[in-house]
Amino acid sequence: MTDLKDMVEQIDQLEPVPPIAAQILALTEDPDSSLAEISDLILNDPALTANLLKICNSAFFSLPRQVESVRDAISLMGLDQIVEIVLFNGLSASFKKKMVGYGLGERELWRHAVSSAHVAGILADRFGASQNKQLIYTAALVKDIGKLILGRFVAFSYEQINILVQSQGQSFNDAEHEIIGMNHEELGALVGKKWNFSDKMIYIIRHHHLSDESARQDLETALVYLADIICMMMGICTGADGLSYRFYGDVLNEMNMSEHDLQGIIAEAGKNQQQVEMLLNL
Amino acid sequence: MEQNQMKANAVSMMTAVNLSEMKISRNPAETLVAFSIGSGIGVTVFDPVSSVGGLFNFMLPDSTQASGVNSEKVPLMFADTGVPFFVQALFEQGIQLDRMKVVIAGGAQFMDQTGMFNIGEKNYGALKNGLASYDIKIHHEDIGGTDSRKLSLEIGSGSSCIKIFGQAEVKV
Repeated sequence: MTDLKDMVEQIDQLEPVPPIAAQILALTEDPDSSLAEISDLILNDPALTANLLKICNSAFFSLPRQVESVRDAISLMGLDQIVEIVLFNGLSASFKKKMVGYGLGERELWRHAVSSAHVAGILADRFGASQNKQLIYTAALVKDIGKLILGRFVAFSYEQINILVQSQGQSFNDAEHEIIGMNHEELGALVGKKWNFSDKMIYIIRHHHLSDESARQDLETALVYLADIICMMMGICTGADGLSYRFYGDVLNEMNMSEHDLQGIIAEAGKNQQQVEMLLNL
Repeated sequence: MEQNQMKANAVSMMTAVNLSEMKISRNPAETLVAFSIGSGIGVTVFDPVSSVGGLFNFMLPDSTQASGVNSEKVPLMFADTGVPFFVQALFEQGIQLDRMKVVIAGGAQFMDQTGMFNIGEKNYGALKNGLASYDIKIHHEDIGGTDSRKLSLEIGSGSSCIKIFGQAEVKV
């Protein structure tokens, strides 16, 4: 078994989410926060402000006029969009790295993350409570953060993990836990803690494959799980783990999601995939 | 002659065939690739006489099941509308029915994904029905399980390759 202490120490070596992204996230989850507070926070970071204005004025958004200030950007594009850009800005460097253990090339985990977040947004609109959309979107974006560290340990133990998956029918994350001593959900939760994510965000990262029965009752976690499942079915940058995870049909039944709904959401996600690809290059 | 020589010397070229797309080629230096197939299915067709081949990569079984999406705009997203679209395009390029070599790969499913939510299995059924309606036979298939797959077709040799992570490539 791997030395877990060694693995946990590597959290410090990850390129962290800039504190500003974590602060903004906390503010958007707080119903009492104001627009002014959020724009002040962004303004305190000149590099982020410059980058944000550059992205807002890029051809991708094709806004009717030039955006000249952070507050202007928020009022024109909406707070959700600005928070997304700030998060992308903070996370993409780490997620774009090649991950040998999971069989993912450069940018592939990032593509999966952004696509999952997009699908999670569609699911949140249809099946979630509207005030939680940002949380669900962001949780889907960061859910695999544990893979950033675990990848190299998976590379080392892939054959053993694969034997448990193929011959004993274990899911990939259970096999990771058994062989390495920790899976990417558990390690991801530790990273989230270190980076001061909210308790709810950490919970979703920790349970996004729903192995724990109580997590299946939690709507936000279930929606992030489904977003992940849908992207894997679509084959969006599925790697060494393939589709080796458990499917919980009861979770869909409990949300009153029919077969018709599921196929409709996959079709919608597929239709939007080109737009998602453009987001990846921002 | 000179043109053929140029083709032979050209560096082989990979063309990605994304979800809900098809590509047809007669360029011997070209390889068509569906890089990551999950529950959807990739279909390669090659005609050794005309040396034309195509790859079609669809995602869902039935266009009437997907509310909110107009299948006329994205016929290649679905087996029921995509198969006729693909086959028609192959005919237009001179491929003949009795010379078609067909390889299919994909249709993966999650563990315990049984019953109505099993889209991989439904895709397989819908594809078989679609091909059978033209009397098209499948020469090789690699379907189901929890693996995601890469499927490619070398136009130069007419070979299809199926690759699963951690396993040797299967060439047919």
